[in-house]
Amino acid sequence: MKKIWKHPEEPQNAKRYWRSVAELDRREDFLKNLGREFPEGDTLNEAERENSRREFLKIMGASVGMMGLASCRRPLVNILPYTQHVEWMIPGKSLLYATTMPQNGGAVPLVVTTHEGRPTHLSGNPLHPLGGGISSFAQASVLDLYDPERSQKPMGAGKELSWAKANDLLAAAVAEAKKTSGASLGIVMGGSSSPTYLRLLDEVKAAYPQVKLFQYEAVGGEGQAAANKAVLGTGVKPFVKLGSAMRILSLDCDFLGVDPVAGEPISAFTKHRAKEAKTADMNRLYVLENRYTLTGGMADHRKPLAASLIPVAAALIAAELGDTSAKALADTAPASLKEWIAPAVRDLIDNKGKSVVLAGSRYGVEVHALVASINNALGAYDSTIELLQAAPAAELGNFADLQTAIAGGQVKTLVSLTPASLYYDAPDAAALAKLVTGKGVNLIHVGMQKNITARQAALHIPAAHYLEVWGDVRAADGTYSIIQPMIAPLYDGASRVEILLALLGRKKLGPVEAAAPAAGAAPAAPATDAAHTAVRDTFAVVAGSLDETKWNFTLRDGFLKGSAYAKATAAPNVAAVAAFVAKAKPVAAPTAEAPEVVLVADSSVYDGRYINNAWLQEAPDPVTKLTWENAAWIGSVTFRALGLKEGQLVKITVGDTAIEIPAIEAPGHVSNSITLPLGYGQTGVGVVGGDRGVNAYALRKQPGTFVLSGAKVEVLPTIAELAITQEQNTMEGRAVYREGTLDTFNKDTAFAQKTGMDSHIPENISFYKGQVGVKSEENPDGFDYEKLHQWGMTIDLSKCIGCTACIVACQSENNIPVVGKDQVRKGRLMQWIRMDRYFAVPKWGKNEVEQESTWPEDNATPEQLENAEMVHQPLACQQCESAPCETVCPVNATVHTPEGLNAMAYNRCIGTRYCANNCPYTARRFNWFDYNKRNPLIDTTVLGMKVGNLYAGPLGEKKEDEGLRLQRNPNVTVRMRGVIEKCTYCVQRLESAKIVQKQVQRDSKNFRVPTDTVKTACQESCPADAIVFGDLADPKSAIVKSKASPRDYQLLKYIGTRPRTSYLARLRNPNKNMPGAENIAVWSNNQY
Amino acid sequence: MGNFFPRWTNWLPLKLAIAVVFIAFGVSVGVAYYFTPKYTRVGYEPTQPVPFSHKIHAGQLALDCRYCHSFGETSSHSNVPTNQTCFNCHGPGKGNIRSNSPKLEMVIKANETGKSIPWVKVHKAPDYVYFNHSAHLNRGISCVSCHGKITEMEVVRHDQSQSMGWCLDCHRNPEKNLRPLEFVTKLDYKAGDLKRADFYKALLDKKVPVDEIATTIGGEGAKADSLDQLVALAEKTYGKDVTQTEVGTQIKKHWQIQPPESCTACHR
Repeated sequence: MKKIWKHPEEPQNAKRYWRSVAELDRREDFLKNLGREFPEGDTLNEAERENSRREFLKIMGASVGMMGLASCRRPLVNILPYTQHVEWMIPGKSLLYATTMPQNGGAVPLVVTTHEGRPTHLSGNPLHPLGGGISSFAQASVLDLYDPERSQKPMGAGKELSWAKANDLLAAAVAEAKKTSGASLGIVMGGSSSPTYLRLLDEVKAAYPQVKLFQYEAVGGEGQAAANKAVLGTGVKPFVKLGSAMRILSLDCDFLGVDPVAGEPISAFTKHRAKEAKTADMNRLYVLENRYTLTGGMADHRKPLAASLIPVAAALIAAELGDTSAKALADTAPASLKEWIAPAVRDLIDNKGKSVVLAGSRYGVEVHALVASINNALGAYDSTIELLQAAPAAELGNFADLQTAIAGGQVKTLVSLTPASLYYDAPDAAALAKLVTGKGVNLIHVGMQKNITARQAALHIPAAHYLEVWGDVRAADGTYSIIQPMIAPLYDGASRVEILLALLGRKKLGPVEAAAPAAGAAPAAPATDAAHTAVRDTFAVVAGSLDETKWNFTLRDGFLKGSAYAKATAAPNVAAVAAFVAKAKPVAAPTAEAPEVVLVADSSVYDGRYINNAWLQEAPDPVTKLTWENAAWIGSVTFRALGLKEGQLVKITVGDTAIEIPAIEAPGHVSNSITLPLGYGQTGVGVVGGDRGVNAYALRKQPGTFVLSGAKVEVLPTIAELAITQEQNTMEGRAVYREGTLDTFNKDTAFAQKTGMDSHIPENISFYKGQVGVKSEENPDGFDYEKLHQWGMTIDLSKCIGCTACIVACQSENNIPVVGKDQVRKGRLMQWIRMDRYFAVPKWGKNEVEQESTWPEDNATPEQLENAEMVHQPLACQQCESAPCETVCPVNATVHTPEGLNAMAYNRCIGTRYCANNCPYTARRFNWFDYNKRNPLIDTTVLGMKVGNLYAGPLGEKKEDEGLRLQRNPNVTVRMRGVIEKCTYCVQRLESAKIVQKQVQRDSKNFRVPTDTVKTACQESCPADAIVFGDLADPKSAIVKSKASPRDYQLLKYIGTRPRTSYLARLRNPNKNMPGAENIAVWSNNQY
Repeated sequence: MGNFFPRWTNWLPLKLAIAVVFIAFGVSVGVAYYFTPKYTRVGYEPTQPVPFSHKIHAGQLALDCRYCHSFGETSSHSNVPTNQTCFNCHGPGKGNIRSNSPKLEMVIKANETGKSIPWVKVHKAPDYVYFNHSAHLNRGISCVSCHGKITEMEVVRHDQSQSMGWCLDCHRNPEKNLRPLEFVTKLDYKAGDLKRADFYKALLDKKVPVDEIATTIGGEGAKADSLDQLVALAEKTYGKDVTQTEVGTQIKKHWQIQPPESCTACHR
């Protein structure tokens, strides 16, 4: 008789984690696809269904005609060696260089992997004082370098210009500015901490004494900068020591996500999130925010709070700490907020000197002034926040000053060096564009994309990617970090340093005409690059002298040792706070009639600058799991009150501007508040980013405001098709996530190993006795641990913040294709790592699929949904020792290696997909199309009909993009259509580490890769240090220690797959005095 | 109704069936022979753009392979040399050897223009196969095992089939091809030319225990205390001349040669 394995049922009162409201409510459309590895049946949308039959016949007819043209002769392949040796280059080996990615006011130290001169993969620079894992933005920035739709030629009013013409126009503008000694010249720069840039800016100021300098970044920073200047002093930079802060309260500061603070890296924070023994201390995080952010997900206590009330919350905290100036504002706070804040503040005070309060950079000066006063009262300065003194820099005007200068006709030539796009993201951008044209201002725009500003500017100059240029930048602690070119500019773009040099007349922009080398002579020394010289000059100033040894060390390490800022001497001037607070307008809480609109940076495109990055576009948003566009996030109470459906369009009106945008229900979102991610809705930028989503900047009219009150919401009948991945590849609601509070842990450190079915697993009655992989009396045939590596991984859920850096790192390392929105909707996302996001509410009963609900009271109420908790669990192939996929493969394409990997031989796979169907973790991906050769983002015209390129068969465009091809990792197969693929623990890195060890040892015996020297791409990228990987057979390795943790558990252990990847249960550290503390993470314990 | 089909058609189905069997057999034999790498690859000898003679350089002049293919021991690829390598001997101001020869014309031109010489690839592994030269050369596999006697080839010819089965043959029985590291680029090396005493002394110098060497020669129970005894033991087991099996077995055992047979070794 056939035995059907049944997963254990869960008791009615147990809590489960769910991914979407549809799953929670057991909606029909969710249940239909539950358990399907690949959605079946009707995956076509209306238009496709209409066309598909006729299309099929036409395409078939045409393709028959094309058959037989293919030839089967062996193609002639050439080997093209270098004609001259290239220094350090060994064909077939990668070369690593240290460099830095500049960011708004900071730096991301990087190590770049290059293959024959092509940068292919980025990882953090472990030598750098602020090194470690990197964000998904930094990780994906290598793709921007090869973007085929990058701006490649100068443009004048939307028309392509030659470089000579562009140089002439620039020279004319410079000559004009010279006449007025710069009075008519304005320069808008982004937030930059590059010493060379600032030095050249001073020189520009010397050359054009009347020049006007402005700073503009699309998202945030102005209020914070103003408050810091007034309270802390000019040039004083706060540096948050996340590693020393044991109590952190965040006022809508997503410091783990898109709003990083200048300070220690995230790993310093997560270091105190995990405990292996009862003695270690754990930090505690309080978060107030209107929507879920990554930081909110990591919080021990989180309260959804309307963004309009954040200043009130700040005032309340300040008042509790004795700041009398804040009292008036604090008194307006609602009672529930007071109840929540009082015990939290008590906790902060109890940990004086170890606590810190952070505020989101998008908030105004009054919030940041209050926070400075709070931190001062908490004794945070010099303990959890270090005050550093930067060198004095030129005064920069803000955006309002820029508007005034243009309107007043004081600026005739405006050079825009900011990475923001003025005509797109500036407050009231359309009016600005009109003003610029109306006043006859000559806008010179420098940027990497052909966005609206580039197309409308009088002169657009393509910017170089940071991997193509010389430069430098100061990291958050002031460490002088170098930017060095990995590759000559692919499209002759100019760096921002070079533009300043051009303004100073020291550089001609555009391609460098190389002089042909004389016959037989040694190659000519490369012409001195002006930017290179400028950076070296700055280095000489920073380092004291141009010491070649120091310079070479800087190039090798990526930074200059001991170049951090000195500590600031002046004490914070708290008296200045009162003036700011007095100016703060009292705010009313948003109501259902007049909800607030909160504009936030997007986790995929940030402020819009990464719009053309396909990896980021396809990396699901960590909270909503939405890909390829933005949507309005609306809390459950409001969403249901409006009677909305998922993806239904709403018209949001603020003042006299309205936008229409699809809405999605966001658990954990405060009611009467709408979150709009910025950066989408750009036109003309290319097929990746063009016309995706809706431009939320349109609603903003005032500079520095990101919370807009008094909005109107209207429901429209249309329902948009969104590509949301949250219901794809489900694990059918099986209990896979385990967490507990510190109390649970202290009671029983191994609680996670006794949760769920794990304590009911019968004894091993298999033929294979003893522990697999260990030779023992019982198991004499076990693997020989002495000779072979045994790879394994742990993922610490206490540390994992749920960002998508690992997904992008994996995509970059393993040549994973992008499939496009349409395919994502069909559940065909190819990313090997899936970041599962679960929500949880205190009590939820209905769990049997067939069962009619008889406990209506057990349905989560919208109010409960508003307070839902959120957790993340990254999941890739678990590398099961007893893998269900292997036994069902008819062609042995997936087999086990003696080192414990679940190997995948792509060339052997015939695409039956049995393995994927048999994988309990749904970790396998199938190539439905040749995504690498066929661009899935474009349409093709076949016989007068517009068809998605993938569906056009042999008539579609089938050519791998030359640019994107350069990014590919040569050590990983580029998979073609019809094969399954999945995580392989970066087997190419493992094999290469083993071979290097063989090269060293040659005829000796020790072939074990040195302890913990080989890292997987995801591990290397993880900013939270949540992933540990290594050799289980090496007793000294970190993985052995990690696996010995009492928190270690395996997913679905009871089915006996013996996965090599295991998880460390999440710990939370609730404060007993907080309201609702008893509900936190208790449900996991109730799993029997 | 008349007979539409004449009598001979009664046997037609059977005849057809027999014919089909024969045709199918013929086709499969043909495919099995003509479509395999043994037939399609071995003997491939394309004309190269520069008439470079391995026979003269590596054979007569006995240049070491690694003089030109310099990164074979450090990288996955064994590189094709740059023009500078050629010019070390042929270049003006250096050796200036036969620098006027018309055969060198293309090399000189490439040097002037900076455009690479388009050498024709002879040995081509498919894209999904990751072969690593350094893993083999550092572990006692000689060039000759895969490329044949290049020293005797005027124009390089595909010598071995280099099919997956051929790779696995050696990965399963590496002792047939292992040799001491100093002979890796000596293409005319024969195990018989080795001095037995030298070979074992080298092993002993590497601190391999003498009794382990002895058991590898003579199986469990074989004993030896000194180099002389080892040599005597080996002579008794393998005969007067050193044999490939003898060298290969020792190297495999004492260098821990365990050629991977799992898919991931070559396919990623």
